[in-house]
Amino acid sequence: MRILSLTVGLILAAQMGHGGQAPAAPLTCATCHPAQAGPQPETSMARAIQLPAVDPLFRSHPRLDLKIGAYSYVIERRANEVTYSVTDGRDTLILPVHYAFGVGSQTFVLEREGRLYESFVSFYPAIDGLDRTMGDQQLQPKTLLEALGRDVTETESAACFGCHSTGAVAGKRLNLSAMIPGVRCQHCHVGALDHLAAISRGKLESVPPKLKQLSPEDLSNFCGQCHRTWETVVRNKWQGEVDVRFQPYRLANSRCFDGVDQRISCIACHDPHREIVREDKTYDAKCLACHSAGAPPSAGMLAAHAGDPPSAVVMKTCPVSTSDCVTCHMPKVQLPGGHMFFKDHEIRVVRSGDPYPN
Amino acid sequence: MLIASIVCLIGIAAQAAAPFQDLAARATAAREANDVPHAIELYKQSVDLNPRWEEGWWYLGSLLYDSDQYAAGRDALKHVVQIDAKAAPAWALLGLCEFETGEYSTSLDDIRRAFAQQLDPQMESVLHYHEALLLTRLGRFDEAVKAYTWFVSRGVKNPELMVAFGLAALRTPRLPKEVAGDPQRFALAGQAAYLTMLRDYKDANETFDHLLQAFPRAHYVHYLYGCFLLAAKPDEAMAELRRELEITPASGAANAMLAWVLLERGDTDAARPYARAAAAQDPSLPLAQYVWGRSLLEDGKVNVSIEHLQLAEQRDPSNIETHMSLATAYSKSARPLDARRERLQTLEMLRANAHENP
Ligand code: HEC
Ligand code: HEC
Ligand code: HEC
Ligand code: HEC
Ligand code: HEC
Ligand code: HEC
Ligand code: HEC
Repeated sequence: MRILSLTVGLILAAQMGHGGQAPAAPLTCATCHPAQAGPQPETSMARAIQLPAVDPLFRSHPRLDLKIGAYSYVIERRANEVTYSVTDGRDTLILPVHYAFGVGSQTFVLEREGRLYESFVSFYPAIDGLDRTMGDQQLQPKTLLEALGRDVTETESAACFGCHSTGAVAGKRLNLSAMIPGVRCQHCHVGALDHLAAISRGKLESVPPKLKQLSPEDLSNFCGQCHRTWETVVRNKWQGEVDVRFQPYRLANSRCFDGVDQRISCIACHDPHREIVREDKTYDAKCLACHSAGAPPSAGMLAAHAGDPPSAVVMKTCPVSTSDCVTCHMPKVQLPGGHMFFKDHEIRVVRSGDPYPN
Repeated sequence: MLIASIVCLIGIAAQAAAPFQDLAARATAAREANDVPHAIELYKQSVDLNPRWEEGWWYLGSLLYDSDQYAAGRDALKHVVQIDAKAAPAWALLGLCEFETGEYSTSLDDIRRAFAQQLDPQMESVLHYHEALLLTRLGRFDEAVKAYTWFVSRGVKNPELMVAFGLAALRTPRLPKEVAGDPQRFALAGQAAYLTMLRDYKDANETFDHLLQAFPRAHYVHYLYGCFLLAAKPDEAMAELRRELEITPASGAANAMLAWVLLERGDTDAARPYARAAAAQDPSLPLAQYVWGRSLLEDGKVNVSIEHLQLAEQRDPSNIETHMSLATAYSKSARPLDARRERLQTLEMLRANAHENP
């Protein structure tokens, strides 16, 4: 960052042109922060909402269909438009798909007479096709409109867009005209736009807060704005396998978690600017940072051995293996509904036959 | 004469051999004949001879209680519980004697000891009532209100109970017999609180209308109404709480409640002054310590916040929110084991709750 600070002057000078003649191309985050701005737009988070015209799903699957009871669903791409239709054999409702939520599994948000609906069926990569939307398994639609999708209240749709896009919510109200699809820089870096504006005028007086300095506890709550905090899960009484998708909650329940030890923070294992790494071995180093001979003891270990000299406090090591830690200690859990899997962040010794720990 | 003296001699001999058995038998006979003063006298003599006679102390204590000699009754019953610490009926009656002699905190402790054992249903009801009265008299109004749920859930309702409940609801540290003048204000408040707990919101609302019309300037009427509105109409609730503060400026409870609503909305800045005032005005109120602790926590003053949250937890361990905030605070101050304990405790309480109110 220090090097960057020094170069700002140069970049600004270049942008201003020689003697301020040629109008400069506007600065973007990528000008100065290429390491983050380069990969970030390709991450799942940045694409948490996709517009149908650019959603690769519809290129690989120009027509998707499914029959549930009396209702038949077709999602079809024609030119740049994607439509979602449901028919009971007599009547048919056809609506354009405005927004696709999610990158892997996708749920579609439709608009009819000024109201938003969450599609009754979703796409799941695990079955390479459509099935009921998660959470709608129990619904028995009685009318064609109910079969189309779930009527989403204003508060709820503001929440959906609040987590899946940027700039869409002002004062708890949804403003779709200002919406940028996906989670982008300024959603996480509050004040980044002021920073950009200031720096474009050659000033460095407003710098967004340094998120790297947050403690693991604070970061869990930060990511938990969307991934749900421990408290949110408790307050909503989400229990059982459904809560495996709420990593801040699961991680806090693990014995490994330590609110002040950076080795167990979300960003120790994930770079929010890069796509998630899906290879178990790459996480070994993260675990071994604590679980190896000679690793500095964590605060919890020191507290548990109060009285002993720190040098005598040893972090535990695995008696079974020296690699592929998360394969055994962070098992994949299937969500009810069947088509989605999550790595359980309640890191622990898993013994066959043990019930899912809440 | 001779015969008489022989009888007398025999009598004396018998008395010398088993004076205690004889006294005991005569005491029992007097009690069964409803000759209370005589029975009391005979029991006194018997326990003088045999201080380990638990049954004797018990009858002595209960007869004294029945004849309104509470201090003497208390002393007798203390012997029973010294001999048998599990004697629930004796703890119960001891608590009731102390209630009458004005030893309110010991009375509450002893009544709670009785609850630990099996009791007959009528005694149970009497004790619950006295527990609630005592909590009110001791200024522990929130706990008192909780204690009245026992009656609400059993549909028990009578005018005296309403006044007593009203005293707790209007945070008045008095017993019903200490209310001077017309108890109408308390009766209405009790009625409103009772209906609220029954979730009969329509009738509760009407009762509140009466209460507010008849007693618009009485202490804690607006507070109570504010609490009633909290879930459904938080804005109106805050207005009522502010009105209460005009009437009762030094009310720790109203300040604390207002701070709580603001904290729930994420408005720490607005909550802070109310939370601070609450903790200063009513340091023994668990909610006051909780809101002040939580606003310190949100301001990053973790160590001071722990002191206040711990006070809140000691005074009211049943508030799940306190355990949640303590978990976060411990986690941030390098005490992961304490954090984990609080989290497990929260989850345990959640499960127990789900069991009680599925
Ligand atoms: C002209 C160069 C420039 C541009 C354009 C720019 N920044 Fe910065 N940014 C900086 C400099 C210099 C700092 C200060 C670094 C320091 O204080 O160590 C900084 C700091 C930051 C930080 C805090 C970094 C930290 O250490 O945690 C964030 C976040 C950030 N910028 C995000 C953005 C975003 C998002 C954009 C686009 C909206 C942007 N910046 C545009 C130069 C730039
Ligand atoms: C503004 C909301 C928001 C915040 C804040 C946020 N996320 Fe996300 N994140 C999302 C959404 C929405 C998705 C789902 C993207 C998808 O798959 O459609 C996601 C996906 C992810 C994924 C990829 C999951 C996958 O299956 O591909 C990771 C990893 C992730 N987030 C980590 C983090 C971390 C770490 C933080 C905190 C530094 C964070 N997120 C903060 C909203 C957010
Ligand atoms: C509190 C923030 C939040 C809200 C509100 C929210 N989401 Fe999400 N959503 C997430 C996060 C974080 C993920 C990624 C982790 C996961 O899959 O649980 C996600 C994942 C998804 C996915 C699956 C993507 C994948 O492949 O994992 C879909 C589809 C989705 N959300 C749709 C919706 C819809 C539709 C709504 C509104 C009805 C909504 N979400 C509301 C945060 C949110
Ligand atoms: C999901 C939330 C999230 C999004 C979206 C996000 N960031 Fe970050 N950013 C973070 C977090 C957390 C950190 C601190 C950890 C780290 O350095 O990676 C961070 C750190 C940074 C830093 C400081 C890096 C350093 O090494 O000190 C810069 C610069 C930055 N981000 C720029 C950006 C830019 C530019 C974008 C958009 C292209 C962006 N961020 C999008 C969460 C996010
Ligand atoms: C010790 C390492 C570690 C830490 C710490 C960690 N994660 Fe993960 N996370 C993983 C691994 C491993 C996966 C699985 C990757 C894969 O799919 O192969 C994963 C997956 C995810 C996913 C994708 C969905 C899923 O659950 O499979 C999200 C989102 C996520 N993590 C968010 C978070 C957040 C938010 C935090 C902080 C509360 C966090 N993670 C902390 C290791 C970690
Ligand atoms: C910040 C340091 C830290 C990191 C990083 C960490 N752990 Fe731990 N882990 C601990 C501590 C501390 C304990 C508790 C040890 C104890 O109870 O004596 C623990 C306990 C465990 C246990 C035993 C848990 C139980 O329930 O008995 C397993 C298994 C484990 N860790 C595996 C892992 C794996 C796998 C990873 C990487 C995904 C990991 N840990 C990352 C600190 C860490
Ligand atoms: C093949 C599955 C497997 C893999 C891979 C694995 N473990 Fe384990 N680990 C176990 C089992 C099973 C136990 C419990 C052993 C016992 O209690 O007998 C265990 C125990 C542990 C413990 C607790 C030790 C104690 O003394 O309580 C830690 C910490 C741990 N593993 C960390 C790791 C780390 C770090 C890695 C990767 C370097 C790893 N494990 C890889 C299966 C595995």
